[in-house]
Amino acid sequence: MGIRATKKRLLVSVAMGLGLALTVNAQAASKYPDIGPLPSVKINKAKAELGKRLFFDPRLSGDAAISCGTCHNPEKGYADGMALSAGYPGNKHFRNSPTVINAVHKNRWNWDGRLGTNLNDVTRGMLTEDYIMNMDMRIMQERAKQDPVYVKMFKDAGYGEPSNGSIRKAIPEYLKTLTSKNVPFDKGTMSASAKRGKSIFKGKAGCIQCHNGANFTDGKAYNTGVPENWDVFMDTDRHQAFLAYNQFMGVENYNNLKRDTGAHVHKHAADGSDMGTFLTPSLRELTHTAPYMHNGMIESLEDVVAFYNNGGGEDSNKDSRMKKLGLSSSEQSDLVAFLKSLSGDQLTGDKYVWSEEYPAEYEAIENWREVKN
Amino acid sequence: MKTQNKLSTAYVAGALVGAVSLAILSGCESTSAKDEGFKGSLNAVSKTAVAANASSTGFAPLAAIPANPPIPADNKQSDAKVELGKLLFFDPRLGGDASISCASCHDPSQGWAWAEDFSRGYPGTVHWRNSQSIMNSGHYPGSFWANSVTSLEAQAPSAAKGGVAGNGENDIMEARLALIPEYRKRFNEVFGDDFPRIKNAWRAIASFERTINQTDTPIDRYLNGDKSALSDSQKRGKEVFEGKGGCIQCHNGALASDMEMYNIGVPPATRWEEDGLAQITFRFELYAKGSNENLYRTAKADPGAYFRGKNKWDLGKFRTPSLRYTMYTAPYMHNGAFYTLDEVVDFYNKGGFDEDNRTTGWPKTKSDLIKPLGLSDDEKADLVAFIEAFSGDEILMDKPELPEYAPMFTLEELKEAKK
Repeated sequence: MGIRATKKRLLVSVAMGLGLALTVNAQAASKYPDIGPLPSVKINKAKAELGKRLFFDPRLSGDAAISCGTCHNPEKGYADGMALSAGYPGNKHFRNSPTVINAVHKNRWNWDGRLGTNLNDVTRGMLTEDYIMNMDMRIMQERAKQDPVYVKMFKDAGYGEPSNGSIRKAIPEYLKTLTSKNVPFDKGTMSASAKRGKSIFKGKAGCIQCHNGANFTDGKAYNTGVPENWDVFMDTDRHQAFLAYNQFMGVENYNNLKRDTGAHVHKHAADGSDMGTFLTPSLRELTHTAPYMHNGMIESLEDVVAFYNNGGGEDSNKDSRMKKLGLSSSEQSDLVAFLKSLSGDQLTGDKYVWSEEYPAEYEAIENWREVKN
Repeated sequence: MKTQNKLSTAYVAGALVGAVSLAILSGCESTSAKDEGFKGSLNAVSKTAVAANASSTGFAPLAAIPANPPIPADNKQSDAKVELGKLLFFDPRLGGDASISCASCHDPSQGWAWAEDFSRGYPGTVHWRNSQSIMNSGHYPGSFWANSVTSLEAQAPSAAKGGVAGNGENDIMEARLALIPEYRKRFNEVFGDDFPRIKNAWRAIASFERTINQTDTPIDRYLNGDKSALSDSQKRGKEVFEGKGGCIQCHNGALASDMEMYNIGVPPATRWEEDGLAQITFRFELYAKGSNENLYRTAKADPGAYFRGKNKWDLGKFRTPSLRYTMYTAPYMHNGAFYTLDEVVDFYNKGGFDEDNRTTGWPKTKSDLIKPLGLSDDEKADLVAFIEAFSGDEILMDKPELPEYAPMFTLEELKEAKK
């Protein structure tokens, strides 16, 4: 009944020629890859199990203080629940930690979309960036070789001896296990409100223009006018990471930046029109991953919808499609209900999380003089 | 026998400045012809110093150390630069996780070194070699145990960035400096930088290190004419040093080092057989320094100078260390194998074997200069006493108060910025 009612309303609206934006958006919806369930992924169990142990192992960071799981915490939807992520000891991060659930279904990663190849490269990037995990991968490899549990697991997984190359394969294999489970939207068990929200999503609100496909993202970067998080500049621990990153990425005059650069770091548009553009995030698992946006500036989904309803924030680079939507409060809550219907089970417990302890010290290899390195 | 023919240019050792010097280092027969080509220009400065002092005995005599080390033309000293370098030397923000500074492994209270066999290393790691004192390092023609860099300006970044040392990267270290107003001001005054440039940090640190010298040791006073500066035991030790002990063959000149590479037979660290963390670093270094598969798999000892030219005749060779300030820099040797000077002398007396008769892991390159010496207990004691004459009073330094971070912009400036 809910569906029918919504459809009817939509048809009536179109038929009556009311709301030009809505008409455009409704037509536009068909131009975009449709939303729907995610395809299934083949997983190599032994490799994924190895990747799971690696993902939660702090020995994969330079000073052995943090693991991937520190900022991609299972209890927080594989994000970290903070506006801006913790980062490596000695500094703090300048962006929100995005969930890695469904990362395997993306074709571009990081808020600014700087990595567009594969999860092997993403893994390498996160391990080695000096403000993230600051790992010399050659030390990482030798640490893995020093742990008999890894020696066996790498062998069982068909990788031979532990190597930095196979670490960067095993972690992505584990990430394949982190996909949405039991999602009302996928299972067809959405509430009536969520169903109405879906129509708004595809219609009047125009969300589908960017949040499309099975993972609700077109993999492109836009400026929606999200306000700056001044902590990036006022907290020197964050600002240093921001400066280092922009220097490394070749951004001009990085010391004088007073806004987040976004995709400009890899697009380098001469006119700066790509400044402050960020990748369309997936909308899956949002209930576990507040706060929202690249800098965590919006705390709730209600506020996110209100932000869009208001046409986004202020920015000279703001995408022209960001306009006031005129959603009623009930339409807004339907949209929120729909967004919430895109989240599934928490991926916690032994199936997803390595719960055995890691050795506190590295065991010495016995007969060191006699065995090959 | 090999001859050295080097141009004397910059360095003043003792009272002598040579133009062209010819020194005949008899007794260095073991050094192969191949070595000649490899050593290259790195040692030119110190060799000249040594050669300029060459005596009729064939070796450069020991010499008093000049008051100041040579100053490179492209990095002149100034008080402001030295002061900046001192701050940076002690500042842990020039490292990966901002927890350790140069001074962490070159601790003034540990002889400007680290008082364990291997240097402490970056958190989560341990180093694989002994931390060398920076005392008098401005006089050195190169740095690290294999002389792998040719200046202090090049040593600092190599240490600050190495995975088992500082593990920092240029971009984040430079960003940290930019966020410290006091550094912005000082880098501007000293180098004219709008924002601190990391390369200039290394230059300032090098300038500071050139001020860490010890010139008033008993040996300096003795060589400058005060014959009472050495005890009778030390005077006897000097004779052993220059005669029966043969130490002078390598430990000569103003630094008591010829700065050349030798394999003297130091046994591989036993720690590698017992300590998992050390085993990790050992393999990492083999890997990181570019070993072939065979060397990576089979090496059980530090290949030393081999990594510089990948020449097998350099396996297990390390630079002759200066004997200055050694009273404060135990343990000794590239891997800290010996904790006392007595052990060191015993090791030489046995022809390069330790008390368990262990020797180098690279026996083929062991220097022919290293032979059993047949020193009596008295001679050994005199020799140790003499080596102590290369150290004066301990030179300590308190960690300076470091300048603090401050935001680069005010909130108003940020909010007013046009978007």
